[in-house]
Amino acid sequence: MSDVILEDSGVPVHLAATNNRKWAIGFTLSVIIIFAFYQYVYTSLPGEVQNFFRAWLPLTSLGEAMIFVLMALGLNIVVGYAGLLDLGYVAFWALGGYVAGWLMSGFFDSKTINFGGHPPVGLPNGIHINFWLVLIIGGMFTAVWGVIIGAPTLRLKSDYLALVTLGFGEIIPQFFVNGENVGGLNLTNGTQGITPIDDITVFGHAFGVFDLQWKFLIYSALAGLMIILSLRLRDGRLGRAWLAIREDELAASMMGVPLMRTKLSSYAVGATAGGVGGVAFATLINGVFAERFNFAISIIILAMVVLGGMGNVWGVMIGAVILSWINSTGLVQFGNVVNGALGTNINFPSFNFLIFGLLLVMMMLFRREGFIPEARTRVIMHETTDHQGAH
Amino acid sequence: MIKPIKIGALAIAGAIALAACGSSSSSKALVIGTDFPLQGSSADASASTNNAIKLYLEQIGNKVGNFSIEIKEYDNSTAAKGGWDDAQCAKNAQDHVANTAEVAVVGTYNSGCAKIIVPVLNQAPDGPMLMVSHANTNPGLTKTWNPGEPDKYYPTGKRNYARVVTTDDYQGAAAAQYLKKEKGVTKCAVLNDNQTYGQGVAQAFVKEAAAQGIEVVLNEAWDAKQSNYTSLFTKVKSAGADCVYIAGIFDNNGGQLVKDKTAVLGDNAKIVTMAPDGFTGYPDLQKMPEAEGLLLSFTGLSQDGILAAGGTAAKFVEDYKAKYNAAPVGSFSIYGAAALQVILAAIEASDGTRKGITDAVFSGAGVTIPADKSVTGAEIAIDPASGDVKSRTITIQIMKGGAETDVMPWELG
Repeated sequence: MSDVILEDSGVPVHLAATNNRKWAIGFTLSVIIIFAFYQYVYTSLPGEVQNFFRAWLPLTSLGEAMIFVLMALGLNIVVGYAGLLDLGYVAFWALGGYVAGWLMSGFFDSKTINFGGHPPVGLPNGIHINFWLVLIIGGMFTAVWGVIIGAPTLRLKSDYLALVTLGFGEIIPQFFVNGENVGGLNLTNGTQGITPIDDITVFGHAFGVFDLQWKFLIYSALAGLMIILSLRLRDGRLGRAWLAIREDELAASMMGVPLMRTKLSSYAVGATAGGVGGVAFATLINGVFAERFNFAISIIILAMVVLGGMGNVWGVMIGAVILSWINSTGLVQFGNVVNGALGTNINFPSFNFLIFGLLLVMMMLFRREGFIPEARTRVIMHETTDHQGAH
Repeated sequence: MIKPIKIGALAIAGAIALAACGSSSSSKALVIGTDFPLQGSSADASASTNNAIKLYLEQIGNKVGNFSIEIKEYDNSTAAKGGWDDAQCAKNAQDHVANTAEVAVVGTYNSGCAKIIVPVLNQAPDGPMLMVSHANTNPGLTKTWNPGEPDKYYPTGKRNYARVVTTDDYQGAAAAQYLKKEKGVTKCAVLNDNQTYGQGVAQAFVKEAAAQGIEVVLNEAWDAKQSNYTSLFTKVKSAGADCVYIAGIFDNNGGQLVKDKTAVLGDNAKIVTMAPDGFTGYPDLQKMPEAEGLLLSFTGLSQDGILAAGGTAAKFVEDYKAKYNAAPVGSFSIYGAAALQVILAAIEASDGTRKGITDAVFSGAGVTIPADKSVTGAEIAIDPASGDVKSRTITIQIMKGGAETDVMPWELG
């Protein structure tokens, strides 16, 4: 029995690999095309065409979408692979964001530390560490927190587990909101947030606020890295152990899968992605604000995972890109187009909640399994007919 | 699956073609952006502000000097976030700069959003680009407050941000002065809602209270998510306070707070209770019997004050009511029109470029809107050094019979 579950049976290995290759090429090409377009073509286009692209494909929102891909893939490890429902993922985003706030800004102004960082001109105070180092530090920091948060949930299952993660998802952002006086130390600056965050530097060259296409490239690379990591992990020993736990925890433990270690590592890997995403997001908006980290954001990332196709890396990626785009750009533009075409003056922003909710409901009605459902899920559903003879 | 994709691609291609030939603008037209949260709890106030701005522009014939003016509305909130969204602020900042016809911005509503947008506008290649806020009261945006403020918001070293509202510190200070001099209180409990605005007001109140000789017996935050504040007010009671200052916004469970305050400490006649303008303009609060006698403060003149004073400002409020069949929501919508007045005055005094308009505000004597022209009924003078408004008039109000009634204007001493 264990052989069937742990192998990617049903889907010929070479087919899955070709499929992955196609998607990987598609992702890389899209990123390169978008980057090249904004770097070389965009500025020479006539004003109206520029306006069109700025309205429908703004670089800030594309960068945000890539960060959401990174986060959604991180949550996918926990929810999609290991099958542990996590309703508090925003906590890791917050932790990563504040690592960037602490290590890449003038916030701790009593110190002046510069380690390959890029402090703003004339404001050398604070801790300024190189972006790439902070990414690693942020990832490691949140990985530790992933284990800490994961530990008390190990004995829980399904709804109870979800409630505990929800609790942590509420506690950590609340801590940041109220953290301007932790034993006399201003740790988070409360709701006023920490601004500005240092520029990203690559070999000594700093990318300023208007180098958005470069930032997009960097965020895409991070998302790409997470895609590779997700794919490789899934086929590896750890990934197969996660899937085994997801399908049947009891059976998995009987087969010798160490439950505690396996579950904790899924939390750690998922949290790392959240932390890296948090650092990246801080550099995108040039600040960290406690108000961002509310429950709704946890849910939207979870929606990306579910909508895209739980467990399927490419599905989750598509889900993240689409939901992020709809939220940041699509809804606004939809309202503008309708008002423009019909000559009406409807106040669309006031209907956005309704439209957004309806979209989610429709998607769940018509594509319940997600945009690109995981092949495995299908295989397992048909397992009784396909593999009964073999075992 | 392939067919829908093809159709989608065709539709997008068609949209590109349409957009490409659809929009064309004359070269003399200047665009002013407005940047508010149009979704979530501030949606009504923001929509009303946009209305006030459009009404004012319509009244002056969409023209100032040799320039015709257009308004472009930006939304800095998203449905997923349910309020102002920092990523959307970052996106809007880029859009303001990239839209070459746009010369200045009215906004933002939230100070946090301004902290993201101002540095970007400041670095605009043909700027700095001017932003005038009608509602940001966080002091750090324009004056020395937290470490690095305000310089860190102006990377080029030149100012480009002004506001037509006074900062939190004035209101807290005026409340402390009023309570001491008119009400003769000695021991105050100060509560804040743990948000930027509430903390700023509370901090200023505590500072001025010390100068006035009021003892602050309790200085605590209330948690907006709590369902009941009985224990908080029991603490206030045992501390022996004879006044309560509530620094914050009514939206943060202010109703429950006022109710529990009355339940534990008695009505507002017994224990003097005062709140800043975060508690003004809420019908829910006005209707509450427990709010009777609640003292309120408000920067500038209230709508009642404006109507009573007559002149341009009163006419503007009347016109607004006539056009939209409703009174302006809250006080900030009128201030939105005032922010527009500052920008228009700057455009008139400039060559119509981003840099020229910013320079008009931050050089020489700066921009002044005289009291008889101002939609707020009071003179608006922008300090060219900081971008802050010079007016220091605070209106003291009292809740009486379910309505906010003016007590007196208070000049900050």
